[in-house]
Amino acid sequence: MEPLLVKKLILPLVLGLLVVGFWLKPDLQEIAAGVAIFLFGMTMLEDGFRLFSGGLLERILAKATASVPRALGFGMLTTTVMQSSSLVTIITISFLSAGLITLTAGVAIIFGANIGTTTGAWLVAGFGLKVDIAAYAMPMLAISIVLVFQSSKYLRGAGFVLAGMGFLFLGIHYMKEGFDAFQSQFDLNRFALPGLLGLIVYTLIGAGMTVVMQSSHATIVIIITALAAGQISYENALALAIGSNIGTTITAVLGALTANYQGRRLALAHLVFNVLTAAVALAFIVPLVGIVDTVSSAVGIAADDYALKLAVFHTIFNVLGVALMLPFLWRLIAFLKQRIPEPALDISTPIYLSDATDDFPEVAEEALRKELGHLMDNAEEVIADGLNLDMSRLLATSDIAATVAASRNPVPVDFDTAYDQRIKPLHAAIVEFASRMGLGDKDTPESIMHRIHDLRAGAGRIVRAVKAVKHLRRNATRYTETNHGATTVLYNAIRAEIARMLVEMDKIHNEDPESRSALWLDEERVQAKRSYKDAIHVTEALIRDGSLTAAEATSILNDSQYGYEALKDMIEACKTLHAETETGLEEVERILALDEEEAEEMAMDRRIKEV
Amino acid sequence: MGLGKSIDKLDDYYDRLAQNKVSKITPDHVDKVLVKLRGKEALLLAEIADSQKVAKKERLESKLAVVREQIERGQWLLGEIEAAASES
Repeated sequence: MEPLLVKKLILPLVLGLLVVGFWLKPDLQEIAAGVAIFLFGMTMLEDGFRLFSGGLLERILAKATASVPRALGFGMLTTTVMQSSSLVTIITISFLSAGLITLTAGVAIIFGANIGTTTGAWLVAGFGLKVDIAAYAMPMLAISIVLVFQSSKYLRGAGFVLAGMGFLFLGIHYMKEGFDAFQSQFDLNRFALPGLLGLIVYTLIGAGMTVVMQSSHATIVIIITALAAGQISYENALALAIGSNIGTTITAVLGALTANYQGRRLALAHLVFNVLTAAVALAFIVPLVGIVDTVSSAVGIAADDYALKLAVFHTIFNVLGVALMLPFLWRLIAFLKQRIPEPALDISTPIYLSDATDDFPEVAEEALRKELGHLMDNAEEVIADGLNLDMSRLLATSDIAATVAASRNPVPVDFDTAYDQRIKPLHAAIVEFASRMGLGDKDTPESIMHRIHDLRAGAGRIVRAVKAVKHLRRNATRYTETNHGATTVLYNAIRAEIARMLVEMDKIHNEDPESRSALWLDEERVQAKRSYKDAIHVTEALIRDGSLTAAEATSILNDSQYGYEALKDMIEACKTLHAETETGLEEVERILALDEEEAEEMAMDRRIKEV
Repeated sequence: MGLGKSIDKLDDYYDRLAQNKVSKITPDHVDKVLVKLRGKEALLLAEIADSQKVAKKERLESKLAVVREQIERGQWLLGEIEAAASES
């Protein structure tokens, strides 16, 4: 409730301040419009880069995070190119939530993003204030609009990126103009606060500005333009820059609200890193200013060029933060894991699905696939328990039929409760997630949409398999707990077939993806058909020779059907889970796979040979 | 059992390829799948050699028949894809 209340208060407060400010000082309008255009440019830039997701962006990110230095470099590079540490942070949270990168790599990207974001200050101080930046903005905007109306999503993405850059430049231009005009009438410098008080007050103002604008980049641009216009003192500008680093953590915190525990860990890492860096900068502000002066004069920056000196300060203080924190990266990871522990394996909670992956179709598909694997793991246990079997014993034995026959004691499990706690919530989460993906970005590649649909159908099959086992549980327990002669043998045969499939599912799940193939499951399909036909054939023979009563025979025929349905659904779900996703390989699998009639034919072939 | 529906599926693939709905299958793709199938064949042969029970042996031999059928189809598909590649 609290963040909601704050949100409700912020909007009228900001609108009220703007209206009062515009009424008192009309020149404020130009500055505010500059900020608005700048923020609009950032939104367009983010939208543009999002259009490159759905393949390209994900593949690059996945490859670039293999080690800490690479992840660090990647964070720097992407933030420099995208000019938005927030976007990089949100993408990183989505990757982490989907289990595609490690927490260590995620934290390293965030560290790198903090260095990358300092390029914004250089861009404004070194370029934006010294040339007529609006002159560059105009052709960029004109060209961008042509690209935005193209049908290719990558051209549209390039158009949005170009338009975003154009609006950034235009926003900087208006802020600069606004502060210049403002300076002739009103001197904000009157509010300059020297000493420790100024440091604290302006740090808080910088943090507040960044929280409101949701962009440290925009804050830095305002600080530099105001500084260049002489509206704020250099000392106070330094404190504002430090404050912006604290305020920017709110973006990650908001982004992590809908993420899983890994996303929340990353947001905490961002908060710890930025607050500690800010604390160090505040504590050592005097020597830091000395270092900035030394570096500035060494690289030829004039002593009174405070805008460029602020860029130097911003860079030094962020690089220093990374240099200080990097040796403690492993301790930070340990701290994060301790503060936000992995949820005690409450198997009814989705592990991989989160809103954070919504904008990245390939990541979302991978998260969905992993969640289906999670559902399947749960189903294996529930099905084994339902048939009074111990999964660990099944995995260890070399004679499944004998192990099943020896498993006579009912497992004290409430099947309905197990279904409600371990199957239903995951299935509901998968259906909800897949539906959301289906309604989402229309640019999601058709092949991904198709596979998402298959994964959802696979989850439905697992649910059906569990329900089929529920139907046969009562009789399976009744006829295998004590010896009922032929009926017990037949029920044990049904249990053994399902047990073999559970073991096969586990084996293929744990096999190296480079070695396993979904085609292997065709063998299980043929086997399931054959065993079902055998069960019917034997039951009919036993009815004819009077070994089975009509009631027993009906139970066996019905339950053989349930067993067969469970097997079919388990096999198809497993095929979906382990199917190739690379299109060429996907097609090869499709061509080589046995279809229903062929599997039937192979099952019959074998039976005829045996007869 | 022969090539079964694989011929129809290959024709269907070429139709969809002509409409740019699928990516091209390369001989490497078929080879990769064949390696996986041959790996399974080797696993099954080793399991059959280790099996004592007749029923288990028969079950594994039935599985072996399926994987060999798929390998046969894979070799045929490889030939088709290589022939198509050399024609183009």
